[in-house]
Amino acid sequence: MAKFNFKMPEFKKPELKKPLLPKDKDYKKLAHDFWYGKPHGERRLGDLYCDKTGLYKHREWRGVKDTFYYFHMVWLYGYANMVMDINKYGGLPTFLKGVWRYRWLGQTYLTVMHWYDRGFEGLRGEALRACPWHYRGMTNATIYQFMQMLRNDLKTNPDSSKVKARHDKTMAHDETVWGGIFYPFSKELENVPLQMIPYFVTCHVNNHTVLNYIDAIQSIGLPGDPCPMCQAEAGIFVQDDVPDYYKAVITSNEACDGSVATSVIQDWLIDKPLFAMPQPMLFDDPLVQKHCQKEIEDAWKFIEEQTGVPFDWDQLVKKLESQNELQRFEWEKWDVAGKTSYYPINGVSQALYRIYQSQYGDLPIWHFVDKKVSKILNRCVENKINSYPLTRHRVIAWSCAPLYYSNWCTWAYNCWGLNCIINMDSLMFDMTIRTDSYEHTLEDMATYHEWAPMRRMAVGGMHHIFELWENMERFNCDMVMMYDQLQCKGMQGVHGLFEDEFRKRNIHAIWMPHALPDKRTVSRAEIRRIINDYMTTVMHEEPLDPSLLDFDDSMGW
Amino acid sequence: MRDLKHLIYFENLLQEANNDLVKQAKSEGKLALGYTCYFMPEVLLDLPGCFSVRLRAPRCTSPDMATYYMSGRTCHYGRSLMERALEGGFNFLDAQLATETCTVTCRFQEHLRQKHLDSVDDMQIIQNDHFQCEFTDVPFKKNENSIQHYQEQLQAHVLDFLHNNYGVDTSDDAILKSIEAHNEVCRLINEIGDYRKLDNPTITGYEFAVITLVSMACPKYLIIDKLRETAEELKTREPDSKPQYRCKVVLTGSENDDPDFTKLIESCGALVVCDRYCYGAAEARIPIEIREGESPLRAIARHYLLTSQCTRFMEQAEMRSRKQRIADLAKEYHADGIIVASNKFCEYWSYERVIDTIVLHRDFGYPVCSIEKEYINSASGQLRTRFQAFVESVEIKKLQEGK
Repeated sequence: MAKFNFKMPEFKKPELKKPLLPKDKDYKKLAHDFWYGKPHGERRLGDLYCDKTGLYKHREWRGVKDTFYYFHMVWLYGYANMVMDINKYGGLPTFLKGVWRYRWLGQTYLTVMHWYDRGFEGLRGEALRACPWHYRGMTNATIYQFMQMLRNDLKTNPDSSKVKARHDKTMAHDETVWGGIFYPFSKELENVPLQMIPYFVTCHVNNHTVLNYIDAIQSIGLPGDPCPMCQAEAGIFVQDDVPDYYKAVITSNEACDGSVATSVIQDWLIDKPLFAMPQPMLFDDPLVQKHCQKEIEDAWKFIEEQTGVPFDWDQLVKKLESQNELQRFEWEKWDVAGKTSYYPINGVSQALYRIYQSQYGDLPIWHFVDKKVSKILNRCVENKINSYPLTRHRVIAWSCAPLYYSNWCTWAYNCWGLNCIINMDSLMFDMTIRTDSYEHTLEDMATYHEWAPMRRMAVGGMHHIFELWENMERFNCDMVMMYDQLQCKGMQGVHGLFEDEFRKRNIHAIWMPHALPDKRTVSRAEIRRIINDYMTTVMHEEPLDPSLLDFDDSMGW
Repeated sequence: MRDLKHLIYFENLLQEANNDLVKQAKSEGKLALGYTCYFMPEVLLDLPGCFSVRLRAPRCTSPDMATYYMSGRTCHYGRSLMERALEGGFNFLDAQLATETCTVTCRFQEHLRQKHLDSVDDMQIIQNDHFQCEFTDVPFKKNENSIQHYQEQLQAHVLDFLHNNYGVDTSDDAILKSIEAHNEVCRLINEIGDYRKLDNPTITGYEFAVITLVSMACPKYLIIDKLRETAEELKTREPDSKPQYRCKVVLTGSENDDPDFTKLIESCGALVVCDRYCYGAAEARIPIEIREGESPLRAIARHYLLTSQCTRFMEQAEMRSRKQRIADLAKEYHADGIIVASNKFCEYWSYERVIDTIVLHRDFGYPVCSIEKEYINSASGQLRTRFQAFVESVEIKKLQEGK
């Protein structure tokens, strides 16, 4: 028998006489870092995370001014407004009933501020002012919508005649049906997208929530390969986890086959009057427009029949003009983003706010936010403030994004200096709507609807998806973050051509595999690893913050 | 049963898209017009001087080149077509009449199309100088607005396209002639298919699948005589004294142009008596009726839109009536059960299959076998096990019911 030879490791005696701070420590720099925060490159943001959960051991020190601004004007202001919004839109008892009944609400409300933190890591100065306003807008719009759902919900208020009356004046719609369709009725009618809050928004805030819905639909036989976003949308209904707040439903074929197919399951489970308002696929073809316009008009008739609320042209014009104002400001933002380096809005704020605002339609909060952001934007341009001074590459993100890691761009800037300037979904509804005549309005509304997110570039001919090159030029980008949604058949179907074109044009593109809401297919850590590998092996660059290269946030919200 | 006289001939014609009859028609100066979807009315592609070919990629089991272009996570059917096109198997086509009706076949056809853009290079897949690919927009509903829209699309993107680019006669008279010839093929196929309704059918599902496919993949004017002879032959065909099957089933689901799949089912003891799937005959061989006051094109637009049972139709009544239609077919063909098969990665049928599986059993009382399959399946042991188990369960049910 071999002799077991075990050697104790040498015990290292601690150097008790060694001072806590080395003698050569630069106290001036320490004071500077305390007052202004550490410069990018010395921050070691990754050291702040608790292992696995990604929660912070302590808050990021951004210097005195910014730390206090963030704590008071973002955190406290955010929480206070979350409480006030609840009271304003329906009251605490209604909210608490909803929290008790619907798991997506209970699981995401309190995690909101961590969602803020993930999006704003490392931000300083004007960027730390501009980006949170976008999140504040989205938070308010979310609370507004789920409180609409809850206060008109017959599931939690089965015997209330008041709730029933409101319920009968509320329309539900697929989240891909633009909220503007309901403008003519908005004086008396409420409209709330079916899945926007229960699935889409919650997924950004707490990505665990949605997994339950995906499992639910697969448990009744759906294979795992269809688009997981559509799976989740169907799963919510399998779990009966959507409030019964609506008289009837308007659905749509946007954005893809999966969305159409989901309608079938939803219809069986909802079992309420449903109007399908499909949009043409070949939307460039002038011949399709009349057909599309007629479907919108038929949808209006359906709303009138179901709710008894009459069509109001003046209200439509008023709301559209208000929405046009939002679009004009968006163009201003794009102008600054494309032509200067003074754009203070980071990738995640740009992407989420834009898709949310343009898809849902006009709300007072968007105007409030835009006014605030406009002032900041002007300040940045006038004073030539570059909020992302360590930008190494200006990145355009193309195709549809991972919902469970929409803040990848915050990480990518902090770690590698990859500054995501714009993304594909932001560029969808790139138009204002004429209100000078009924015909023009209807024409433009049809076009607007045809240009919906995940659709404007994805259908109607391959040339749309290859508008990437002109947008790279427009936004002065030198790198592409190519979202590779593994279950999106439309994008998978052009994978090879993109490879060919990237090579031919000598463009650096990083393929980012993901499965929209389902982090189990490709984790956040895997996404980071792919970017890290590209940056080191292809670009031969060093990370700006090595502490962010590898960490485990698999249990993180 | 005695073998059908032309069965081997038909089987051989299905071995490749550019088969002997396609070559013969081409040598006679006819234009070969490809299509993939029911929404592209084959009757318009069979106008004088042309013939339609519903594209297939038989024996394509490993679409490697297509997988580079379309990834391994798209429907095998669309990728197989792409592979066959890249191999040169569709070079005989003079034009492809395309529809954006399901994503992957749309992408395949977009690859074929000469785009003439700065943003992306043309792939020049079809090595045929005058090849063109034209897309038609197909509506998602069956209302009057949709029929009108569809008719306009067919006029612009099929008739005008063929007339302006290839000089095809697209007059009403020419369309009427084409409808007449089409209806004759439908009559023959239906006559042949009706033998499946007999208590002891005198044609197998496999044989019928082969015959139906031949009528889609070959120039009709060259195959019709053989179809007539087959119809005649079936009039006197005697069934086996002891049936070779243990139960009868309706096969429904997504794209399926593989007769060997039907053969696989039948080898497990289930006779396929009705085929309600893309490339099946249940809808594709309903004759076109021209109503009073209708133009031939209007009749075609109405016919194809209203007869289609495609899962992309979104109207509430339509989504629900599709289940009734399958149940009605099962009753009409005296089926004991229903097999719902969807191609892997088919978004539409993944969902439809789930609902069919629940509803057809719950509301109509039919045993349902729900399976996901690849484009080419003949060697699948797993599927065989599933079908055998299904047949046994149907038999047990029949025994329990005292049948």
